[in-house]
Amino acid sequence: MKTTLRSDELSCPTCVDNIESSLNQTEGVSEAAVHFNTGRIEVEHDPETVSGDKLVEIVGQSGYEARISQF
Amino acid sequence: MMESLKKLFNSLANPSKRKKVLVIVSGLLITAGWTADFFWDSDLLFNTLMIGSALMAGSEIARRAWQGLQNWHTNIELLVTIAATGGLAIGVYWEAAAVTFLFLLGGWLEARTMSKTRDTLRELINMAPDTAIVVEDGDRTEIPARQVQKGMLVLVKPGSKIPVDGIVESGGTTVDESAITGEPIPAKKQPQSEVYAGTINQNGSIQVRATKAGGDTTLAKIIRRVEEAQEEKAPTQRFIERFASWYTPGIVGLSIVSYLFTWNLELALTLLVIGCPGALVISTPISVITGIGNAAKKGILIKGGEYLENAGKVTAIALDKTGTLTTGKPTVSEIIHFSKEAALAGVDPEEEFQKVHTVSLSDQNNQSLPSEGEELLYWASVAESVSEHPLAEAILAEEQSGRIPEPDQFESHTGQGIEAALGDDHIFVGKTEFMKQKGVSISEGINNEIQNLTKKGRTVVLVARNNELLGAIGIADQMRSEAPKMISRLHENGIERIAILTGDAQATAEAIAEEAGITEVHAGILPEDKNDIILEMQQQGYQVAMIGDGINDAPALASADIGIAMGAAGTDVAIETADIALMSDELMNIPEALRMSSKTLSNIRQNVVIALVTVAALLTGVFTGSVHMASGMLVHELSVMAVILNGMRLRWI
Repeated sequence: MKTTLRSDELSCPTCVDNIESSLNQTEGVSEAAVHFNTGRIEVEHDPETVSGDKLVEIVGQSGYEARISQF
Repeated sequence: MMESLKKLFNSLANPSKRKKVLVIVSGLLITAGWTADFFWDSDLLFNTLMIGSALMAGSEIARRAWQGLQNWHTNIELLVTIAATGGLAIGVYWEAAAVTFLFLLGGWLEARTMSKTRDTLRELINMAPDTAIVVEDGDRTEIPARQVQKGMLVLVKPGSKIPVDGIVESGGTTVDESAITGEPIPAKKQPQSEVYAGTINQNGSIQVRATKAGGDTTLAKIIRRVEEAQEEKAPTQRFIERFASWYTPGIVGLSIVSYLFTWNLELALTLLVIGCPGALVISTPISVITGIGNAAKKGILIKGGEYLENAGKVTAIALDKTGTLTTGKPTVSEIIHFSKEAALAGVDPEEEFQKVHTVSLSDQNNQSLPSEGEELLYWASVAESVSEHPLAEAILAEEQSGRIPEPDQFESHTGQGIEAALGDDHIFVGKTEFMKQKGVSISEGINNEIQNLTKKGRTVVLVARNNELLGAIGIADQMRSEAPKMISRLHENGIERIAILTGDAQATAEAIAEEAGITEVHAGILPEDKNDIILEMQQQGYQVAMIGDGINDAPALASADIGIAMGAAGTDVAIETADIALMSDELMNIPEALRMSSKTLSNIRQNVVIALVTVAALLTGVFTGSVHMASGMLVHELSVMAVILNGMRLRWI
């Protein structure tokens, strides 16, 4: 399943790597891409293992507030 | 007590609040430290408070550094953590506190400001309403907007947002389409008008037959386009990122080397502090996001940073005529016909003297045409009724009787004319050469009239029935009224060369060119010739923008440095393929798009300069001993803020 998160707070392109690596290391996430310019975070994941809310929490641990978006 | 602690702890799980709390607390501790130092001259109190502040702010930074390490990933936070720990170890407590506090404060301020630059996108996403009222057999049900199927009838009440793309079925209203076209003046809508999701129905209730919903709507395409554009890296950005990817390891290396040579730990730690390429890596993206977002608000979709940079450098413009300089909706302006009195009175039809009349429809004031004119239009309409040529529409629109039989046979000679047969009648409609080819004789009298009209910029088609010329129809494609203003604005903005490229006749093109103020005309050319002319202009050293309607100019739009498509709101092809798509037909958006591009380009340059100067100044400062950890971090964060704020100026240009 693909979930799109959005964060308006990304302020330094290097934080993209932080978020990407912590998402990618999460069990149940097969691919995560963070687009710095738009603040869009695309996550390919297994909703059984890791829910959308859990993804928001993981991004939060990297220091950025995110929310689930429809597109 | 426990409850409120728990509450505090819970709220700290929210990253924004956590950052805010840590920034405020460590800031207060620093202030307290300096106060203690000033009033009581207490070193112990000063140092304790500074260590407290450094630990407070440092905890968040160290946590992120640790998170990175766990994922086998080193980051800027790690550098700052090492620097601050080192600072505490060698006893420069104030420096350690200042570095961690400033790093958090800067990040927090930057996040708040950056979120403003992402406003445009958020606004666009919020334009689409969540639900739609679907009418079925008189029953109204409200369903999620993206679940509307093609062909469903949707009710839109006054004052509400239109949830789908579709065609008005009943009712009339005005619609604020500024979200899609950037056009501030509301558009009138009546049955058969097209409406778009995300536009606002103003005063009437309408029922809309849905054609597209959810992710297929024009609005969704715009959002996707803007997003892709903002995410695409401009050439400058790629260059800077390459530089930045070497910069950080380079500075770390420099820090180690300088420590080995000087055994000066503070110098080495200071170098780590300035190792973050913050202002550099953010310099280009911030301008690109803001520039593209602001343009999108005005109905100008720029495909990405690269195109923005290219459009900012344009020196020559090639324009399509039909649909760009002109409205693209040709109408019949004159009719040339023969009067038949001579034939009736004449003794020998071979010898008759045919009188030529030219009737200007605009002078006609709704009076009916002479019967010869009606007859001419009738036969032309019969032949054109099955043609898909744009001129056919103009002729059919003029035919008043409304009873046009379809021809039994029809053949189109592309670029020349058409022939059709109905019963015993054989009809030719086309250019003068076409008539000559078909053996229709053209008298000198009518030929002069045709020449006159052509010189006025009309496209003239001749009509013959059974090899006898009935007359000719002059068709005009009106120039858009703001064309001369646009051309002079382009010249003002430094465009050196403007040329018209058109498949139309030389005289027609020249008439429009003169009216608009353009001196270079390439008329009567095929689409591939347009391409060649653009390549030639590029060889002469011009940076060329091609402006067309996006469909039949595709090759020329592609080979130009920048392809600009007009009136793209209804045509997906144009939105997808053009480098810059103008949603409305507003001509003044062309100079506006180029102006905004060049403003953005110079903004990017300013930012790169700010970032590079900061880096150079910091490095010099560190080695000459005038920059220490605290001031290094301060200058660094200030340069990041300077770059962000400079980029944000693009919102108001």
